[in-house]
Amino acid sequence: MERNVQKHGGINLAVTVVIFIATLGAASYAASMAGQAAAIFLGLGMLVAFASWFQMRLEENERLERLEVEELARSRGETTLFETKEAEVFPAQRARELFEKFFVPGFSVLLLLLEGGGAWLLWRRISATATIGGISPDRAMPALALFGIFALLLFLIGRFSVTIARLENHRLLRPSASFLLLGAYVCFVAALGIAGVRMGFPNTDSYVARGLVLLLGLMAVETVVTLLLEIYRPRVKGKVARPLYDSRIVGLLAQPENLFTAAAQALDYQFGFKVSETWFFQLLRKSLPVLFLAQLAALLLSTSVVFIEPGEQGVLEQFGRLDSACPILNPGGHLIWPWPIDKVYRYRTDQVRRFDVGFQPTAESEKSDTILWSVVHTKEVNFLVGNVQPATVTNNLPGSASGVADNDEMSKVAPVGLIDISIPVQFRITNVLDWAYNNADPTNLLQDLATRTVIHYLVGRDLNAVLSHERSQMAQTLKGRIQADATQHHLGVEILFAGVQDIHPPVKVAADYEKVVAAGQDRIADTNNAEADAIQTNALAGALAFANVNQARATRLQTELSAWARADLFTNQIAAYDAAPSVYRQRAYYDMFPAATANARKYILLVTNTHNVLMFDLEDKIRESLLNLNVPSTNSP
Amino acid sequence: MKRNLITILTAAVLVVIFVLLLFTFQVRQSQVAVVTTFGKTTGVYQPGLHLRWPWPIQQVYKFDQRIQTFSDKFSENLTKDNINLIVSVYVGWKISNATNFLNSFPGGSIEAAQSQLQSILTSAKSAVVGDHPLSDFVNANLKQLKFDAIQSEIEQTVQSELQTNDYGMQVKFLGIEKLGLPESVTEAVFARMKSERQVLISQAQNQGKAEAIKIKANADRQASETLADADAQAKRIEGQGVAEAAKTLPIFQENPELAVFMLRIKALQESLNQKSLLIFDQRTPPFDLFSGTWTNAPSQ
Repeated sequence: MERNVQKHGGINLAVTVVIFIATLGAASYAASMAGQAAAIFLGLGMLVAFASWFQMRLEENERLERLEVEELARSRGETTLFETKEAEVFPAQRARELFEKFFVPGFSVLLLLLEGGGAWLLWRRISATATIGGISPDRAMPALALFGIFALLLFLIGRFSVTIARLENHRLLRPSASFLLLGAYVCFVAALGIAGVRMGFPNTDSYVARGLVLLLGLMAVETVVTLLLEIYRPRVKGKVARPLYDSRIVGLLAQPENLFTAAAQALDYQFGFKVSETWFFQLLRKSLPVLFLAQLAALLLSTSVVFIEPGEQGVLEQFGRLDSACPILNPGGHLIWPWPIDKVYRYRTDQVRRFDVGFQPTAESEKSDTILWSVVHTKEVNFLVGNVQPATVTNNLPGSASGVADNDEMSKVAPVGLIDISIPVQFRITNVLDWAYNNADPTNLLQDLATRTVIHYLVGRDLNAVLSHERSQMAQTLKGRIQADATQHHLGVEILFAGVQDIHPPVKVAADYEKVVAAGQDRIADTNNAEADAIQTNALAGALAFANVNQARATRLQTELSAWARADLFTNQIAAYDAAPSVYRQRAYYDMFPAATANARKYILLVTNTHNVLMFDLEDKIRESLLNLNVPSTNSP
Repeated sequence: MKRNLITILTAAVLVVIFVLLLFTFQVRQSQVAVVTTFGKTTGVYQPGLHLRWPWPIQQVYKFDQRIQTFSDKFSENLTKDNINLIVSVYVGWKISNATNFLNSFPGGSIEAAQSQLQSILTSAKSAVVGDHPLSDFVNANLKQLKFDAIQSEIEQTVQSELQTNDYGMQVKFLGIEKLGLPESVTEAVFARMKSERQVLISQAQNQGKAEAIKIKANADRQASETLADADAQAKRIEGQGVAEAAKTLPIFQENPELAVFMLRIKALQESLNQKSLLIFDQRTPPFDLFSGTWTNAPSQ
């Protein structure tokens, strides 16, 4: 019987070695990452099969040794033999104990390194393969067939081996048998991945490989945990230890029907007593199908009650078709057929939704208290807009008879202008069926329609008009047009608001617009200053004229009065003159002379020799006061 | 026995679910399904629950039969008047014939269909844009604007192409989503917009100066007029004074000799000022009083 175990162990080892090599070749041939992952699993299985087969041989040797010793004891009828050291008497037993004490933990560490390292390397290879391309479609079919055959072979042998391993004293067959079955499943999954590639889903092989890598990582974690727990496991004499390389995850995946058995064994093994025989564990084991059914029933029943939240509407589909009786569910509770018969799709119909046409205000610009045209406050989106050149420009451009520039470059770009605009559009769903069933992406479509409407509006308008007097009517016009478009395309929405939140020339030009305003102010200032000067000029002129006229009046009066006064004086002088003409003349002369010459410099020539020539220096002399002027010293501080 | 019954029931439920999943399929209200049997199309199914053979016998391809919206690339084209214009259009299309659609595109891939549509759109857009000058796209004169007509032309071209090749697709609507100018032309537009502003700036500033000069000139003219009026009035007033003063002349005529003498006296009086230098000889009265009193003749 024991020799049979060894034989089965050997078969398992041989099968894993052969299929490991074959899998590696098939995976390399097809460049399948999932196949390579499967090969790693089979490689690990090969090592485990070898370790278990070796341990079987040691146990077999120990058993034979013990039989020989018992035979000798019976034949001699003495016990002296057992008085010697046990190691000298049972070398095979000693060898098995040393194997379990040192080799098995070391082998487990080796497995851990292979599992962890394999997972890490394979993950990197998968990532690299994703960028350079994976499995070639023409090699997919042969690889698919090969992996299918491997899976079938492994399953048949593994299933047989697992059944044998359940027999007493065949525990060491279990690790390799489990790996055979796991290898079968892994090969099957790898075949599915390759089949996916064959069917036009190129990523399935990569996805399967990643899943297998995760499983490999999980096995590494389990090995670490097992090694740690082994330190604290209670050692019960006579209790046969479970090999460290016998993975519970592998066993569970290979034989999922033994979930409870595996769990019970794990608990029993770890705690050192029969946890699986406690009442709770037994109850759980017996009631699990009922609990599963109840859970399934509760899950199904929960899908037959639906609560539509306030502000929502639900669309009810029965087997995919709209429920003809009541296609729309309003807020409240509703009973429906359970999944998969009825399905409800929810829509927040009362929610006011929003999108922006043009540039969207950033969080920073929203925080800012001041938004200026000439300062960048968001990422600019330039819209083309019609452009009628200002009358002033067209009439005053030099070098053109018509006033329009005849430069080639100018004539190319003359009809258009650019403008930055931000129009928030708010809407609400009014017909949920139209919204849900007429367009695949109604939000995106509405945004496209609104953008088109804005563009259409702007290209037919004048830049300066849009910036000024047309702005107020623009919002209303756009709202109406967007609503009309949405209705025409059966979107089932109501446009609540479409406002011109921000509209201005591009930042590069905005400063020049501001300069125009400044120039207008300069113009007014110049005019006002001229008006002020004019007022001053006219006021002063009026005052001067008034003064002149009054001065003339005064002069006139003075002239008149003076003339009459002189006439009156003359009348009296006539009488005096008539009385003594000569004396009067002399008196008048001498009265006048001293007073008239009082300030004149007078030279009186009292000469007798009139033949002499007299010379006078009539040069004006510097005033004496100027000659006495004190000049300050240059040395003074 | 009871436990076995429950286990069997659980297994039966799971098997039923599995079988239902294998042998039935649902088509949603927004979908249409094409079923192939061993690769050959065997039926087109509308919304509802339907039976099928499991894979690999039958395969079900479901398609969204709602209108799909697709935006093409924002690509540069040359207009009829040789201006580079960047245009992007959006198109609303739907699957009109699911079987043809499945045959045209591997696995009924929407991405593959839109890739094909992108090619057709790009071609149609370039052709139509090349047939129109820029003023047909952007024009402040609405009568000359042909925005809608351009959209219709692109839509008709695309629709015609799709129908010719029977892709199983139908264009429901098409619109221009973006219009733009290349960077270099945009800079030229900016420069022109700035020059327009510069004209307005110059206009405003120089108008102000011109108006100021006019106002000042007008004020100066008015001041001159006022002063001239005032001068004339002053002269008239002064003339009146002179005329009035002239009425006294007959009085002086009563003794002209005295009158002239008095005028000479007055004139002499007003002629002598502080800086006058007067040189008199001894015969000038009253200095003739010095005659015979002093002489520079040597004393005898």
